[in-house]
Amino acid sequence: MAITAPSARSVAATGSVRVRKLADAVATIVLWVMASSIIVMLAAFVIYMVYLGWSALTPSFVFGKPLEHAAGGGIGPEIYNSFYILILTLAFTIPIAVSAGIYLQEYALPGTFRSVVQFSAESLATVPSIVMGLFGLLIFVYTFHWGYTALGGALTLTLLNLPALVRVTQEALASVPDTLREASMALGGTKWQTITRVVLPSAIGRLTTGVVLIAGRIYGETAALIFTAGLSVTGNQPYDLNPFHTAETLAVHLWYTHSESVVPDVDRIGNGSALVLLIMVLAFNVAARIAGRVLTKRFTGRTS
Amino acid sequence: MTEMEPSHLEPAPDMRKLVADDVNVYYGTFQAIKHASLTMRGQHVTALIGPSGCGKTTFLRALNRMHDLTPGARVEGEVLLDGEDIYGPDADPVVIRHRIGMVFQRANPFPKTIYENVIYGPRIHGERNKAKLDAIAERALRQAALWDEVKDRLNRSALDLSGGQQQRLCIARAVALDPEVILMDEPASALDPIATSKIEDLITQLTEQFTVVIVTHSMQQAARISDYTAFFHLGEIVEVGPTNQIFTHPKEKRTEDYITGRFG
Repeated sequence: MAITAPSARSVAATGSVRVRKLADAVATIVLWVMASSIIVMLAAFVIYMVYLGWSALTPSFVFGKPLEHAAGGGIGPEIYNSFYILILTLAFTIPIAVSAGIYLQEYALPGTFRSVVQFSAESLATVPSIVMGLFGLLIFVYTFHWGYTALGGALTLTLLNLPALVRVTQEALASVPDTLREASMALGGTKWQTITRVVLPSAIGRLTTGVVLIAGRIYGETAALIFTAGLSVTGNQPYDLNPFHTAETLAVHLWYTHSESVVPDVDRIGNGSALVLLIMVLAFNVAARIAGRVLTKRFTGRTS
Repeated sequence: MTEMEPSHLEPAPDMRKLVADDVNVYYGTFQAIKHASLTMRGQHVTALIGPSGCGKTTFLRALNRMHDLTPGARVEGEVLLDGEDIYGPDADPVVIRHRIGMVFQRANPFPKTIYENVIYGPRIHGERNKAKLDAIAERALRQAALWDEVKDRLNRSALDLSGGQQQRLCIARAVALDPEVILMDEPASALDPIATSKIEDLITQLTEQFTVVIVTHSMQQAARISDYTAFFHLGEIVEVGPTNQIFTHPKEKRTEDYITGRFG
């Protein structure tokens, strides 16, 4: 037999290869359709909300004061309160959660204390926000006799969002390779120098993204605020900075007008509020991405 | 010098830059290094060779207390830097690592600019003077044979450099602290032959000022760049000697088997 005799085998596809390739093609199409459906759902939702709420977005609505009984009320103070409570909440949440996250990820050795902190954070994360709201009602409104206040609302939201931000911090730190920690320590860096100069700057992009996403959640939260921050705005001073004043947020206002209020233009206020809320939350998401990128570039001299 | 003691085994005391004396390293209950003793001469290159898992990297990391960072790792014995035990009660890891620098297997530049990488060490040790830091950066990058390639883009990210450039940057980062000893853990194993030869040339130049201890998988590399070689096997130092002698007339059967390729 000659060494160069043509082989009996061919390079053309056989029956079984064709079946496998068909399965591959089907899987690709199915997965693509499923993934695309997310875009379609978001687009349909946004378009519908814009369609309903667009006509309500007049300056007198966005910047005006709400009215108790008459038509034509605005949502200016609610937008303000949403931001005010958001900033208060972040001012409490970020220092506690980032510190706890750094401790758990960088310092704590596996052991009882770390397990207990981790378990507590995870348990806290499973508490429904309405339960957290009732807890806030008992503590801040009744026990402390504050009544409905922006501060009580912010502290309740802090409890609600701490676990998520601790988790975000831990994951951001865990994404920093150990080889960088080693490099810093091998140059005689202390643990604290390593964390502040290498680990945190490397994690700042992810951390910021996480914070802004949580800010979006805080902005949209209702259940925890109904019982703590209240359902009304301060009548004579709707834009004040006093944390002990009642402070109805936009999301709460949306719920309130639809379920409790007696104003005749409920639909207009509801649709308009929903659209403003949606725009805000989407803006937070976009801002999260931009801020993450900018900070990563700023601290690491590199995009991505 | 007596005839009984070959010069490489007992160098004059002032040549004994770094001396490991009966070092044992444990990971939990597993003993990774067993009674290792080795004298590393000042301004020479000592190569640590041996098959994978023989403990050469573990030994290297015992020389600047990197095992302090590994939970469950424990080091026994003495490591004398100019006669002072780095595991002694007064010894501080921060000071030790300032005097004994390290370069890792995979280049690990910080995600910062080239400039920020080089001056990281001096800066964390308290140097704030911009002119001094600039001078240190230029000197270190020149010593690492990287200055000409990066002098116009010091403010670009270190991560945009090639693998070989990143590793030389890591060497620059180590020499910026003016250490006395530089430990290198297979510094060229992830690099192509051209980048490897640059690193090797660099190591040879560095011995003008520094003492180098290098772990390498490549026996050719050990033969090319080192003055002394220690052969590790199963956590023990089997044989130590001038590189030339280890590769041509090993005394131990196991050394000979390894360098002739019969195992490992």
